[in-house]
Amino acid sequence: MTEGEIRELCEAFFDAYENRRVDVLDRLYADDCIVWHNVFGRETSRDENLERFHDSYRGQRRRTYDDRTVNTFHDGFVIQYSLNGVQTSGHRGSLWICIVGRCRDGRITRIDEYMDSSKFGAWAGTSEVTS
Amino acid sequence: MPSTDTVHRELCHALFDALEQGDVAGVERCYAPDMTMWFNVTGAEITKDENLAAITKGVDLHRRRTYDDRTISTFDDGFVARYTLGVVLHDGSRRSLCACLVGEVHDGRIVRLWEYLDAGKFSQEVGS
Repeated sequence: MTEGEIRELCEAFFDAYENRRVDVLDRLYADDCIVWHNVFGRETSRDENLERFHDSYRGQRRRTYDDRTVNTFHDGFVIQYSLNGVQTSGHRGSLWICIVGRCRDGRITRIDEYMDSSKFGAWAGTSEVTS
Repeated sequence: MPSTDTVHRELCHALFDALEQGDVAGVERCYAPDMTMWFNVTGAEITKDENLAAITKGVDLHRRRTYDDRTISTFDDGFVARYTLGVVLHDGSRRSLCACLVGEVHDGRIVRLWEYLDAGKFSQEVGS
């Protein structure tokens, strides 16, 4: 894949997340895609991620993936961004996240996601920022 | 002449090796004079001198610190490294933490770092 193709794939993936387009996500994940989160320390399959997508939005009115800084390499990308959310309560929260993605033939084959779980309470409006 | 990929990859390894060995001068050699570092836990950006002071202060915090399982990818003006920070505490117990470091490189030196890790695991995993 060219740098442009990888960059477009990355942007399409986050646009789909933002717009709750599970059908698009389904197309962008490779069949054997694996997603790993530093918070849980384990890998999940593409199907597990797609099945849990709507649950991940529970309690949230809107979510945007802002301030995207994308760098690409021969078989993937790294994206640094701010995840801004509005809860159904109206509370607004933000998380800083970094994702490293691997790509093949126009689809994403692996995602490694890094974030700080100590910010989750402030993100959801259930506690203040502690650090 | 080595490729950009090689230069950035070697620089990233040199940084981690120096951090592992508590070699603050070695870390400084990897940095540009106006280098800054941003940390997802604090959301703050610190200067090179502040970063070096923090590294110096942290050298004796643990018996040993290793940057393992380094997976490095490079791009035109930088690198991203995913790694496992392994720590041996003074009481002999071991902890580990998965982290990600993004570096911007100009003229063979690091001008900016962004570090992402889960502070929710920090106290129980790294013991700090």
